[in-house]
This record gives sequence, structure tokens and C-alpha cells, in this order.
Amino acid sequence: MVVEGEKIDQSREWVELNIGPQHPSTHGVLRLKVKLDGETVKDVEPIIGYLHRNAEKLCEMDYYCDSLIYFDRMDYVGAMNMELGYLEAAEKVLGIPPPERAQWIRVIMAELNRIAAHLVWAGAFGLDLGMLTPFFYCFIEREKVLKRFTAVSESRQQTNYMSIGGVYQDIDDQIIYDIEQFTEEFPAKLEDIFNTFVKNDIFISRNKGVGILEPEVAIDYGVTGPMLRASGVEYDVRKAEPYLVYDKLNFDIPVSYKKDNLARFLVRFEEMRQSIRIIKQAIKKIPDGPYFNPKAKKSLMIRLRGEGEAYARTESSKGEFGVYIVADGSVKPYRVHVRSPAMRNLAVLPHLAKDVMIADLFSISGTTDLVFGEVDR
Amino acid sequence: MVEIIEETKGKDGRRNLKVAKENLVELIKDLKSKGYDHLSLITGIDRKDRLEVVYHLHNMKENVYVVVRTETMDERMPSISSLYASANWEEREQYDMLGIVFEGHPNLKRMFLPESWVGHPLRKNYDLSKVQYVNMDEEGNDYATFDPGDGW
Amino acid sequence: MSVLERLAAFFAILGHYPAYILAYFFETLFMLIFVVVMLIVMIYLFRKYMARVQLRIGPNRVGKAGTLQLIADALKLVGKESILPSRRDDLPYKIAPIVVFLGLIMAFAIIPYGDFYYIGSLTITHSDVSLLLLFAALAIMPVGEVLAGVSSKNKYAVLGALRGVAKDISFEVPMMVSVLALVMMASARTNQPLNLENLISVQSIPYGIPQVIGLGVFFIAMIARAAYSPFDMSESDSELVSGHSIEYSGMRFGMFYMGMFGSIFLGSMIVSLLYLGAYNGPFSGDAGFIYLFIKAMVLVILSFTIWLSVPRIRIDRFVNMGWKYLLPAAIINLIIAGILTLGLSL
Repeated sequence: MVVEGEKIDQSREWVELNIGPQHPSTHGVLRLKVKLDGETVKDVEPIIGYLHRNAEKLCEMDYYCDSLIYFDRMDYVGAMNMELGYLEAAEKVLGIPPPERAQWIRVIMAELNRIAAHLVWAGAFGLDLGMLTPFFYCFIEREKVLKRFTAVSESRQQTNYMSIGGVYQDIDDQIIYDIEQFTEEFPAKLEDIFNTFVKNDIFISRNKGVGILEPEVAIDYGVTGPMLRASGVEYDVRKAEPYLVYDKLNFDIPVSYKKDNLARFLVRFEEMRQSIRIIKQAIKKIPDGPYFNPKAKKSLMIRLRGEGEAYARTESSKGEFGVYIVADGSVKPYRVHVRSPAMRNLAVLPHLAKDVMIADLFSISGTTDLVFGEVDR
Repeated sequence: MVEIIEETKGKDGRRNLKVAKENLVELIKDLKSKGYDHLSLITGIDRKDRLEVVYHLHNMKENVYVVVRTETMDERMPSISSLYASANWEEREQYDMLGIVFEGHPNLKRMFLPESWVGHPLRKNYDLSKVQYVNMDEEGNDYATFDPGDGW
Repeated sequence: MSVLERLAAFFAILGHYPAYILAYFFETLFMLIFVVVMLIVMIYLFRKYMARVQLRIGPNRVGKAGTLQLIADALKLVGKESILPSRRDDLPYKIAPIVVFLGLIMAFAIIPYGDFYYIGSLTITHSDVSLLLLFAALAIMPVGEVLAGVSSKNKYAVLGALRGVAKDISFEVPMMVSVLALVMMASARTNQPLNLENLISVQSIPYGIPQVIGLGVFFIAMIARAAYSPFDMSESDSELVSGHSIEYSGMRFGMFYMGMFGSIFLGSMIVSLLYLGAYNGPFSGDAGFIYLFIKAMVLVILSFTIWLSVPRIRIDRFVNMGWKYLLPAAIINLIIAGILTLGLSL
């Protein structure tokens, strides 16, 4: 089913409002050209590209191991997930699978980062609705995750922790203990944050029934991740096409059939609870062994040559993050293409924000979870 | 039935179908009716003498993937934006980055770069030494300028 | 004894007329200083309170525990360049912040503060229609906001002003109806129920107790008047950036900012004045002002808590609420007040 965008009446003159690229609610540098009828939004045209760096070209010009830093800077609140997405593809091309221990470490880090990214989203979403306070609660919790990242990778956000054939350094018992501590403490804090939102009647009234996204439309627009699951499609790359060791872990895919803003909110919070569940299992099961593949020694890293092509999909916090690498047998990739989930989620905004109030336009664009490093690449 | 030039299995275990440019829309329409409802990715690859376009299609229900590959010698491709809504932006992105003109696209504008940008960056012959500047006009729209002495 | 007479007696040596001119001047000055100091204290309190709610520390660099932070901020605002939009309507653009601030000061001048030891009360409060004057002064501030919104020639500002007008219309009618119930109740006891001092003195029990609904409606109206969350639609910083004041910078913006905090304090003052017994309390005597102040401060903290814990309501929902819930509630309150006045002669 292809959704035909309803053409607006061109004979009338609409108030044109330019929102962004600098605006508190555009989460970075999104620009929206909005046509208004009073308070009602008649047409939205998103304009992107203000943070465009052409990471794909940069990847073509660099060795396989060096390209990782560009992925750190794509979804800058979920850097571990981005690294994972790239390495899944690059390791297939290079033929260097990571050892068992590295895979478990990667799962732990990716899930921790999913929690951090969702917390950033929740705080920013509160700000979109005019709630100041939960923002700080979310960021205090997120800082605890970043503290663990600093311990393993010596960097807060752009971790650059995973590397081809494994991870940059092993995690010791202290770090495992710290992460375990976090999984013990966090659920209670998460419920607190959750309650500051959902026990608020105004919050519910702002989100319930707003921004309804039908599942057919969502699939047609290529929407993935929590947004798709909130529309009632039970689809998660971690289950559909398990990578790393996700098939050995026991977790659920949160799905909501309500399709609105509130559903997307609830799905994301449930995902954080599931992430905690995954981390708790992974910490117990993590095996001993080498943490990187000896074929990918640091001194040999730039001599790695790729063959063939691979398209790897991972589930980042925004949705299905795909990296398509075409190799030509040299030390640099021939073509790298990134499937940015946030960009596909943004593409559906003109459809969602038709005939809504201005206030709802921002709450809808808030639930799409945009990070412009990733949309613009 | 659409004529498929070549069918292979990719490194990641996915079905690769190679078709001629003329048969592309028909094939994809056919695949869509078989349940491939999710267009995951459109990638343009500059093979120096020709442009290759790769479509990753995904069946949400049965969870199978198919990769459709096609080539063009004259930078022109038929658009599939009437079949998938997500193709709209992806084709715009490929037009922006590689200069592939998708015929039949309703709104083929550059996705990231300003309209007046010269060249398509992901082409292999794109000259990185030539500097272009992005400015903003009265309306708030971007446009690109360059200094003629700057390697042009 | 009022402040004015005290001052006139102090300047009596200069003769009758000069003494009264000076007395009026100093009275006004006292009031101004009081308002500005109160605002500074309020903003400092708000920032500290907000920080505590949000698990932060708040201002802590300038002065002891950040007490001088507000002075530093005010100096910064004064020192800032005021950037003027080139397509503005010059006169309305420039007087708009002054109108807002003036409305605030005027409303503060009309409030009877009660006798504070030897200082006494201000002259204007002895007017027989001070209640009407108070609401007239309250109606000045929205005018300034609309002027600012329209004269900035900015679409965000216009939208903000339009929202502000829609909001004002929908809460002011229920507000005035609930005040009507107060006047009705007071008129059974006094000949001049529009005189604020009389209105307060006849409250043997605070009118907030028989008129709980009226208190609620009026408090909501005061929140909407001060335009903070959940009713900050007109200047919603995440939608319209800051609504009508978007094109203002420097001290002109500072005036809007003070106007906003001022109206929180003013609203709390008025609620405690009309519904909570104002400066009456056990052993009030000479220290009535302290009672008023404490009651107002409790309401201010309550307002801050509301501000910090709820998201913004949508403008159409607010208009709905004003006409469909607040107005009927205010009318019910009016009927109850009538029954109480006639039946129980409270």
C-alpha cells in the first residue's frame, strides 16, 4: 500500500512558518517548513542536511579499522550500537569473526547504550512537552551508564570501544561488578522516572490518541524500531535475524497496538527493562577467553583486505541500523552505505503531522527519536 | 515472468537477483506482491564505467531478504517511489550523492546538499580539492558558492 | 496610621504641600523597592527550589550560596545590547515591556499589605473601589504582551500573542464570576464590599472555606495569568521559542522576565488576600503583614511545584477547560455563595 500524500489546497494562502534549524524542539538541526491554518498544521516539509559530513565518503577514504570513529559520531547518544552495526558488516567482509567473549561484551555494551540512548530520548521528550524536571532525572541515570563506559573505554560518549575482531580492551571483575551494581539499582530509578511521566494526567492527555501511525503505513515508509513496534508489528532484528549471541539470551519484544505517541513512549520504557534483563543474563554467562581475534592484531589492522560485500543489520536504539559494505579486495572499502533508521522515521513525520495542532507536531517529532548525527551522516 | 539475468547467493547468505534496468519496476512490483513489503535500502555504487543500484527488499512476515541489482550506463533509473513510500527519500539521497536521476520521481531534489552544489560527492571522480561554501539566502534556504580561483 | 501620613509628618517642616508631594514620592519609592526586592528574592528562591527538585545545586558561585547571582544576572541584562528587529513597529515595540512592568507595579500598589508595626499601609488601598482597580491593573499586562507580539513582526510572536488572547478570554470570565461571589458574600456585612480592606475585615472565617470551588477556579486563573507551566502556551519555549518576547533582548527581555515572576507572586498575594484571610491570623496585631507574606509564600512554593512537575497543556484544551469546566464551576460557586449568604448569613 502506498500512501498518497493528500495535496493541500493551493488556492488558499497559508501562513508559512519556518521552524529550525535552530529551535529548542528540533533535537539538533532539523528544519521544518510548516504551512499553518491558525493553530492547525496543514503541511510539513522536513529539510535535513545541516549536519551532513558525508561519512560514507570518509569511510571510502580510510582503512577499515579507522572508519569506526565516523560511526561513533553518527548516533552520538548510542555510539556502541553504531560501532556494532559497522563491525557486523566489516567483519563479514574481512572474514574476522570476533571470539565468544568479545561477543558477550558487545552485547552488554550495546544494551547499556540502548538504555542511555532511551534515557536521553525520554528527557528530551519531556522538554518537548514542557516538562523540565524529568530531563535531569534521566541524565543523572544516563551518567551512571557513561561512567561504566569510561571505565572500559576511557571515553564517555564517542567510546570507540569495539574494534575489528573483538573489543579494544578486556573488562575486568571490577567493571563487571559495577555493571551488576547498575542493573541492581537502575530498575527502581527507572520506575521513578516512568511514574513522573505516566502518573501525570496532562502528559497522558497530550499523548493519547495523538500521532496515530498505522502498521501498513509504517512498513511502507520503512519505519523500524520502537516506532514500528508501537504500531503493533512485532519485529526486532535481535529476534528476527539474531546477531552476536542474542539467540542465547531470553528477552521479550515489547509491542503495543495503540499506535499513538503514548504507545511509543511505553514501548521505549519497556525496552529499557528488557535491556536490563539481557545485561543481567549476559553478565552471568560471559565466558573466559580471548577478547579479540588474533588475526586482527593492532599492528596488522591496516593491512586487512576485504572481499565481496555484506549487508549487516543490527537493532540500534532508533531502529534497524544497517551497514552495507562493498569491498574490492583493497585495504579500503569500495562503498559504504548506511541505513539510518532515524531518517526513515523522520520521513513519516509529514504523514503523521497532518491536521494536528502545533503543540502536537512537536510531541510527534519528539517520539520519532531523532539524532541528527545519524540522519544527516 | 521477469527475465532475471543472474541469480547468486551473497556472502551474507542472501538471494541476489540481477535484472536489466527496463525490467526493474516490473520485478519489484512482482516481489512486492509476494510479500516483500519493506524496502530496506537503496544503494548506488559508482563502478567508474557504470552506475550500479542495489535494492534490499525485506519480507516482514516471513523474514526473508532479497537483493535486487541493476545497472545503468546513462545515469538514469526508473523510480520505484510509487511502490514504496520510503523510496522517495532514499532515491533523493542517491541522486544527491551519486547523481542518479530517478525518472518518475515526484520530487527529485537534493537530500542533504544545497541545490546549487556542484558535483556528486560519492562519485569516484569527485574532486575533493575544490572547495565550496554554503550560505543562506533571505528565505532561509541554503545555496552553495565557490571561489573561482580555488582550484576550479 | 498610613505610610503617607507618617511621611507627611516627617516632612511637615517644609510646609503642607511640599511635605505631601515628598511623602507621595517616597511612598511610591518604598513600594517600588519593595516590589523589586521581592522579585529578586522570589527568583533566587525559585532557582534554588528548582535545583533541589531537579537534584542539582543551583546558583552557588556569586556571593554566599549564590545570593548575588540575581544581581549579577540583572547587571548582565542591563549591560547587554538590545537588538532591535528592523521591521518592528517602533513605538509599540518599545513600550510593550514597560506596559507589562507597569501593570505589575500598579497591581502591587493597590494591594493592602496590612499594618506592619509603624509603617502602615499605602494610600491607594483606601480607595472604595480598590477591588475594581486591582483587576483593572491586572488587565494591563496582557495588553503589553499582545503589543509585543504584534509589533515584533515575527510569526512566532504573533502566534504567541494570539494564544495569549485566547487564553486570557477563556480564564478571565470564570475568574470574575468567582470574584463576584466574594463580593456578594461580603456585601451582606459591609456597605463597601469593593473596598479591599473592608472585604478582608468582614472575613470572620476566610472565604476560601465556604467558597472552595471559587478558590480553585481563582487559583487556576492566577496560574494562567502568570503564564507558567501547565498554562504557558503563549510563551511555550519548546514550541514558540518564547512567544511574544522572542524578539526582545537585554533589559527589555528582563522586564518580561520580571513581569512573569512578578505575576506569580502577585497571583499568590491576591489569592491569599481574597480567599485566605490576608493579614488576619492569631495574634496578628501589628505584624499582619507577616501573615500575608507567609500565606503568599506557601502559595508561591505550591505554584513552583506545579510548574516543575507538569507538562504544557494544549491551547484548545485550555480554552475548552475555561468555558466548559471553569465557568460552570464558578457559577455553581456563585449559587452556593448566594445560598450561604441568604440562609446562613455568614
